[in-house]
Amino acid sequence: MMGDATISRMSGLLEGVRVLDLTQYIAGPYCTRLMAGLGADVVKVERPPAGDPIRGLGSFASRPNVFREYGADEPVEDGAWHLYLNASKRSIGLDLKTKEGRQVSLDLARKADVLVENFSPGTLDRLGLGYRELRGVNPALVITSISNFGQTGPYRDWRAVEATLYAMGGLMNITGEPDQEPLKEGAPLAQLGAGQNAFAATMAALMFAEETGEGQEIDVSIAEYATNILENALMQYSYSGQEYTRVGNRGYGRAAWGIYPCQDGHVGIIAGPDHRWPEVARIMEREELADPRYSSRRGRQEFADEVDALMLPWLIDHDKVDIFKAGQESGLGFSFVATMKDILEMEQLVARGYFVDIEHPVAGSLTYPGAPITCEADADAWEFRRAPLFAEHGGTVLSDWLGLDAARVNELAGKDIIRLGANGLAD
Amino acid sequence: MSSINQQPLRNYRVLDLSRIWAGPYCTKLMADLGAEVIKMESLSVYDSHRGPVNPARGIASYPDSEPGEEPWNRNGWFNCLHMSKYGITLELTSDEGRRAFERLVSISDVLIENFRQGSLERLGYDYEAMRKHRPDLIYVSMPAFGNTGPWKGYLGYGIGQEQLSGMAHLTGYPDDGPMKSGINHGDPITGSHAAGVLLAALRRRRRTGKGMYIDVSQQESAVAFMGPDLLAYQMTGQEPERIGNRSRWYAPCNTYPCADEDRWITIAATTDDEWHRLVSAMDAEPLADDMRFASAQARMAHQDELDAIIAGWTRDQDAFVLAERLQAAGVPAGPVLRGPDLLEDRHYAERGTFVSVDHPQVGPKHYPGIPWKMSRTPGEVRWPSPTLGQHNREIFGGLLGLTSDEIDTLESDGVIGTKPTGSRII
Repeated sequence: MMGDATISRMSGLLEGVRVLDLTQYIAGPYCTRLMAGLGADVVKVERPPAGDPIRGLGSFASRPNVFREYGADEPVEDGAWHLYLNASKRSIGLDLKTKEGRQVSLDLARKADVLVENFSPGTLDRLGLGYRELRGVNPALVITSISNFGQTGPYRDWRAVEATLYAMGGLMNITGEPDQEPLKEGAPLAQLGAGQNAFAATMAALMFAEETGEGQEIDVSIAEYATNILENALMQYSYSGQEYTRVGNRGYGRAAWGIYPCQDGHVGIIAGPDHRWPEVARIMEREELADPRYSSRRGRQEFADEVDALMLPWLIDHDKVDIFKAGQESGLGFSFVATMKDILEMEQLVARGYFVDIEHPVAGSLTYPGAPITCEADADAWEFRRAPLFAEHGGTVLSDWLGLDAARVNELAGKDIIRLGANGLAD
Repeated sequence: MSSINQQPLRNYRVLDLSRIWAGPYCTKLMADLGAEVIKMESLSVYDSHRGPVNPARGIASYPDSEPGEEPWNRNGWFNCLHMSKYGITLELTSDEGRRAFERLVSISDVLIENFRQGSLERLGYDYEAMRKHRPDLIYVSMPAFGNTGPWKGYLGYGIGQEQLSGMAHLTGYPDDGPMKSGINHGDPITGSHAAGVLLAALRRRRRTGKGMYIDVSQQESAVAFMGPDLLAYQMTGQEPERIGNRSRWYAPCNTYPCADEDRWITIAATTDDEWHRLVSAMDAEPLADDMRFASAQARMAHQDELDAIIAGWTRDQDAFVLAERLQAAGVPAGPVLRGPDLLEDRHYAERGTFVSVDHPQVGPKHYPGIPWKMSRTPGEVRWPSPTLGQHNREIFGGLLGLTSDEIDTLESDGVIGTKPTGSRII
């Protein structure tokens, strides 16, 4: 699987870390997915009967043309979002709204190093699982809460979807064409990004807790995360009072810095520093592009339409990968708009052994992106196991973490406090 | 200043050779958590995010659009990413410079770089060489495509990673081509992934005493966000369609025009309950009985009509007033906030999302702050982004123990300094 023997794409950096995962949908599960990938024992608590609602969002392996299972009262096992976001975790079916369910979760929290949740603010308190109760059973627990707008402030209880967060986080205003409505990006990048930032903060808090015995609460707001990555889109206004605007596929204040059509798709022409510009003229076989008027960023910006018109004929006549490589071989950071097919076949990713094939009893065998970041060989393996079936690990978790025997597990199951996996009894 | 003694990373030193955004966002998060981050630049090739030496040639964001005498210290691009870091300069082309660098490495826990692949190796500073100076060093190398493979020497920018990861393929207006984001979105994604894994590696080192080499492919980091879409493609055999601001899962979900120039509101109804709340708020009870919109599936099937009706309703309304009203009715809605809106927003103001920092060559300005609230170790922005070489004396003198004369010599030899040299920066 490896392209280079000196690097393993694996590492069990977090082996032995116990994570009680009360998250659902996207932001929280991405945070705990990173922990699970690095070897933490992530126990995903899912609510009976259907589990994490993300399970109902497709596509689905068994029904390719269905995007959503509406009102499913059985857990769906083969949705793309669940399969990816919950990989490498264990699942326990537990109803937090029952008295004994709450007690079991407090018992689990006592044994955990980290608890991550992304309920709407106030929900944990209502369940009797607020910070005070959790801290009461485990003073060293790191409790990470991810929410739309944060645990405080006037919008705390506002409802939101990705588009709301993208809009209120400032990213939407700057994406899209100036004369059309502003756009969000296609993937839920605000939620995923907040999840990864929450992961970093949680790691630091875990180190602090291990040193001092003191846990703490971390409050991550998805909208606030978006405001943190605006960079010049915010700074320009802050510094000069000039608002940053949408510029479509042209770079802001730049030219030859964006997405262009080509013969078989789209490419990214990224001009780079001025001293590289003559290379663009050479590659595209257009001497006019070497005109001194275009030699600086300012000049190209001023004559952007002319520059585009000079580049287009060559672009339209060439394939995306050829354009990408022609630029790269000349020291220019060109790119191309990769389709899903392109990515799965991309020679660089394949050579580095990035992808992993995982078999799932319901979804079958699929190719997954591997570790987002590669660590050196002598660490242990990156844990990449398939996503759990709903409640698959209830018995083993209660046995591993709490030392409960099969009789007690089955008693809880009999009262519908926990759900056990498809095999019925404590597994 | 006082709370630094209680920060999670107070005992860790990060030698930061990274530039532009991906690496600096990683070390920004480390600095937010209390690490001692030493940002090292070269006078001949400083971090290009400082902008051009000659402002007439390039673009940047200067206070009041005025580059001033030292424009490289006055660019908002740079100054929003390096707060609470120390800034030094050092030329690795001289023997004295190399000696100082190796001493810095020997007292650092982490070295991080995002040069073009192989650059540090050519200077004799690959991981194996660095371990001689610091055996338990964590060495984070983050070139665009990683340190192995046929594309390892290729260049990549955050804007390119949006495209090569598939993010741009999914983004765009319906029936139109792919669209770039308004930022170089690959960069912060990589920076944050790197920070998380680096912290896990530091934790492991504390337990095992072992350092580590971390190979970051900025591209692989970005593709990690595309997992569900890559799985969906394998399930359906279909490339995802670009659907603008709509959702594949519920309707309505879109961005609708409001009163005034370039004012917009996002509105969604993810459930029947939210749909009925929206209908009530619109005072449009007939819609509740309209079979075209009676179920989630029906609303998905009739999105064009639905969006037209909602847009007709929002068009003359104030985006902010309407969002408050819809939220009060329990409908997910929010105005599209622009720069001034963000800095004046009551929610962000109450949470301290943006912080005012007084930079010596800029004056007080607003910056994005620390992107989380930690109850026990809140942290704070400790000082503004460093001017070029600002902390040379503090680091080379106070930390490495060079005498004032030795530092003067380094300066007069051009090994360190505070003014850019050479012509490699536009």
